[in-house]
Amino acid sequence: MPSDLDFLSPTSVDEAIALKAVPGTAWLLGGTDLLPQMRAGRKAPGRLVDLKRIPGLHEIREVADGGLSIGAAVPLADVEVHPDVLDRFPLLAECAKTVGAWPLRQRATLAGNLCNASPAADTAVALLALEAEVEVASTVGRRTIPIREFFLGPGLSALEPGELVTAVVLPGASAGFRGSYLRLSRRKGMDLATVGVLVGKSNGTLPARWRVALAAVAPTPLRLRAVEELLEAKGAAAASEAAEAARLACRPITDLRGSAEYRREMVGVLVRRGALSLG
Amino acid sequence: MIASGRIGTDVPRVDGLEKVTGAAQYTADLKFPRLLHVAVVRSPHPHARVLDVRTEKALRMPGVRAVVSGRDFPLHTGIYLKDQTVFATDRVRFVGDPVAAVAAETPEAALEAAALVAVDYEPLPPIFDVEEGIADGAPLVHPDLGSYEVVPWIRPKSGTNVCNHLKIRKGDYASALAGSWRVFENVFRVPQVQHVPMEPHVSVARVDLAGKVEVHTSAQSPFTVRHLLAACFGLSHGDVRVHVPYVGGGFGGKAGINLEPIAVALAMRCRGRWVRFMVDRHEEFYATVVRQGLTATLVTGVDRSGKVQAQKMHYLWNCGAYGGYGVNIVRSAGYTCGGAYEFPNVEGDSIGVYTNRPVGSAYRGFGMQEIHWALEQQMDKVALEIGMDPVEFRLLNALGAGKATVTGQVLDEHAGRVDLCIRSVADEIGMDPGRQKTPYRGKGIACAVKAPAMPNDAASSVVMKFAEDATLEILIAGIDYGQGLMTVVAQFAAEALDIPVEMVRVRGCPDTDLSPYDWQTVASRQTWATGNAVLRGAEEIRRKLCDTAGEALGVPASELILRGGAVVHEATGRSLPLARLVMGYQFPDGHAIGGPVASATSYLPEGLLFLDPETSQSAKPVAKWTFGAQAVEISVDPETGQVTVERIAACYDVGRVVNPGLIRGQTYGGIVQGLGTGMMEELLVDTKTGRAMNASLMDYKIPSTEDVPAEMVVDFVETPQKDGPMGARGIGEHTMIPTPAAIANALYDACGIRISEMPITAEKVWRALKEKERAASEAGVAPAVPASVTA
Ligand SMILES: Cc1cc2nc3c(=O)[nH]c(=O)nc-3n(C[C@H](O)[C@H](O)[C@H](O)COP(=O)(O)OP(=O)(O)OC[C@H]3O[C@@H](n4cnc5c(N)ncnc54)[C@H](O)[C@@H]3O)c2cc1C
Repeated sequence: MPSDLDFLSPTSVDEAIALKAVPGTAWLLGGTDLLPQMRAGRKAPGRLVDLKRIPGLHEIREVADGGLSIGAAVPLADVEVHPDVLDRFPLLAECAKTVGAWPLRQRATLAGNLCNASPAADTAVALLALEAEVEVASTVGRRTIPIREFFLGPGLSALEPGELVTAVVLPGASAGFRGSYLRLSRRKGMDLATVGVLVGKSNGTLPARWRVALAAVAPTPLRLRAVEELLEAKGAAAASEAAEAARLACRPITDLRGSAEYRREMVGVLVRRGALSLG
Repeated sequence: MIASGRIGTDVPRVDGLEKVTGAAQYTADLKFPRLLHVAVVRSPHPHARVLDVRTEKALRMPGVRAVVSGRDFPLHTGIYLKDQTVFATDRVRFVGDPVAAVAAETPEAALEAAALVAVDYEPLPPIFDVEEGIADGAPLVHPDLGSYEVVPWIRPKSGTNVCNHLKIRKGDYASALAGSWRVFENVFRVPQVQHVPMEPHVSVARVDLAGKVEVHTSAQSPFTVRHLLAACFGLSHGDVRVHVPYVGGGFGGKAGINLEPIAVALAMRCRGRWVRFMVDRHEEFYATVVRQGLTATLVTGVDRSGKVQAQKMHYLWNCGAYGGYGVNIVRSAGYTCGGAYEFPNVEGDSIGVYTNRPVGSAYRGFGMQEIHWALEQQMDKVALEIGMDPVEFRLLNALGAGKATVTGQVLDEHAGRVDLCIRSVADEIGMDPGRQKTPYRGKGIACAVKAPAMPNDAASSVVMKFAEDATLEILIAGIDYGQGLMTVVAQFAAEALDIPVEMVRVRGCPDTDLSPYDWQTVASRQTWATGNAVLRGAEEIRRKLCDTAGEALGVPASELILRGGAVVHEATGRSLPLARLVMGYQFPDGHAIGGPVASATSYLPEGLLFLDPETSQSAKPVAKWTFGAQAVEISVDPETGQVTVERIAACYDVGRVVNPGLIRGQTYGGIVQGLGTGMMEELLVDTKTGRAMNASLMDYKIPSTEDVPAEMVVDFVETPQKDGPMGARGIGEHTMIPTPAAIANALYDACGIRISEMPITAEKVWRALKEKERAASEAGVAPAVPASVTA
């Protein structure tokens, strides 16, 4: 890692965007992805622009449709205990609390987890399931990227160069989903997922709506709409059928954490368990 | 003479306050003026000839002070077998083998310059497996093996890849096998693992203008470092000074000599400057040292009563590229090859094989966890196959007083009681044979034994001296890297002299110029060996104090005792506080007697005898044995293969519990380390490139706090060790030896599968369960327990 790194701390989004115009600049949130990547020589920015001094990026606030907007600089540790998150979007808390360990989550952010675009990003499955929207700003203006269009491949997202994520918005329409994030890893504490499966079900609506999303079993985090429809049509009684469909839909690879074969089988096991637990 | 109260009690760690406040200094905390930084040029090839090393460009880089390579330092080093040079000379033997090194004003300049060192290699065929390594015509990792200097009790085989071979021949194995009722043969494997100390290796060296070499290093053995540095650079021991500050974990990986020669080599080329070589976590994994791999083939012949009559043990050790230290693990595993059991007829072979993998070396347990992984699963399998309860089968075959080890040493009643340890843990976990079984819950047991593996003359010594206020200072050269040595040394001295522990200061960060000699902090030997030296020192101090006090009080010294910080004459009730004696006693008329009271004492194990070169029979090959056992209860998720250790019980015959809190800490730590190597650890080497594939904490996992078993029950038996300080014997390593095998045996109990190659990962369990189900359905029988259970 170079020792002559420039470090800048702007206090507004516009300033942060302007600073990025210089080639070799990277934005920094918690740095828990960026700094290890720099140490490993996989990224080599010449200067870092820290976004944590920008006041507007620190809040979790309610939005007009009853949803929540989570500022880019909010650490995951705050997300997982936030009363509105726990009350209306508990699936996000379920996923957030599995990222690394508590000290890491004091720094790691939701936006950082998204921008890093890892296939194993734990919060990504909740955001997919909850149909979140990613708010971005750049020199050409602001736009909103629906989460289903966000992930393009390992480390690849729909962000254009120079686009800064300002917040992640959970729409009011997604409030009330319950369920669990079932996750296998090589050890219990602080490990990346070998397989992550989120199964959620709407609370109180009739007919029930279902959500199924997977981590670490495809080039991007996946949402399985077809499996959700199956469960919406037949309920938890179709858990095994849903498991089989999910097993076929995932596209895992073999790596140090597990083989493709094991991962695929585990998707089936966990989808079935998740669905049955909501039956 | 010996009072009581300070042994067997929870005396708080004497170094605790320093460590929790951060006052304790570790090597990397030390500040040096104008420090130079090091980067090492490492081999990218697992096996290659080095044709040329060109350093001119690197030398010309601004900020670079020295560049050194193999041709500059041709002498060999190695603690038992001198098979390694500071830098590769004509040949590299693993990916990571040092070829050259740079010292520069900044770490960045050092790295940049290292990249400018040009090396021409001619790749050679590598070997990674022991089976390939011992095959006829295998490429030789060390073609010059026959010319290396070696201690007489290690036997390398010139012209092969075998760096040591120890043979056990006891009784008549062939006839006993032929006469056996049933015979079982199985193969078990253990991969290389890394120590993962919290503090990676670091060494700082300077050669001053007068030529004296000074080193500060994170090491387990300051004197051995000095000894080997002197040999490696052709120096007088008197011109080498080694300091060891606090050490952040070693687990064997900092035994012997490690980074020090590279730091010293560079320091020689920039006289007067301090040079710091500090590896990062990545280098720590693949380029320092690792635990050796093992392939074990066991054959057991039993008679109808369940007594083992014939036992063959064939251990092939994957030593990696260098075996300087590892050769002694091969030896130790040889003379301990039968574990905690009495085998009357034995054919044992422990063979160390060079390969082009990372360098094998000492690791907590020194080969014992590896061989127990094999032996204890074998014992379980045999018991179950012949329809015997595994606990009863172990008790029937266990070593004990009057029984002979594989080397023919007949144990006496002081040797320790493995039978009591077995019963303790079996009771705790509830292993009675008639127990109710729950599907996918299982119980397993494994025994453990280990002796210190060290040269017969490995000694420890201490200096004890008083300050004016009667504070007792004890200089040791054993390293306290968390196991609590400094605390038990204070306890022994306080107990023997009947002074408060608070009056004792243990000077535990040795400096070879000032500290008394100690061989190494390894082999679970410090409490025992340094403890013995302390008791001898205390006796000498007691004698000196009583002599002076006797003269002062006008009574015979033989009538005086030490009590409560004073020398007391019980008959008259007269006494003198130590503060009036430790610097000499002054009479009312002004004349003084005695003088500053001090002692220098040592301990060297007594009566150890070499092994017979052909059969390894010996009446006393080692100083002592520590026996123990662990039993465990696990649950298995049959669909995911995940194994959860629910409860674990451990019991060891430690002779005497010196400090209950410290020994519990050792045991918990050992269990967790055992669980790590047993369930998740393996240093993977890509056999196409020779590169370590998981050399980072992201890819190589050790247990986290959340992986610690919910319940660990620890118990001790106290059969006093005859030559142990107040009866104590070693325990540091033993605590991690049986854990993986106990889990493996519990796994079989839970669901009828065996994992013969460590670690027991969820995916392996899942595969084995699937395989079992497939085999059962092919055979047309329903599996005993349903393999697919709904959560
Ligand atoms: C020990 C450890 C354990 C971990 N365990 C897990 C785990 O279990 N699960 C998991 O999913 N992840 C894990 N991670 C990865 C990481 O912690 C998470 O992905 C985290 O959420 C990243 O957030 P951050 O704020 O640290 O991002 P940063 O590292 O600050 O940024 C991530 C990337 O996004 C870019 N960026 C930052 N801000 C913006 C912005 N506003 N707009 C556009 N781009 C931006 C950065 O330049 C960088 O490329 C772990 C990491 C470590 C070190």
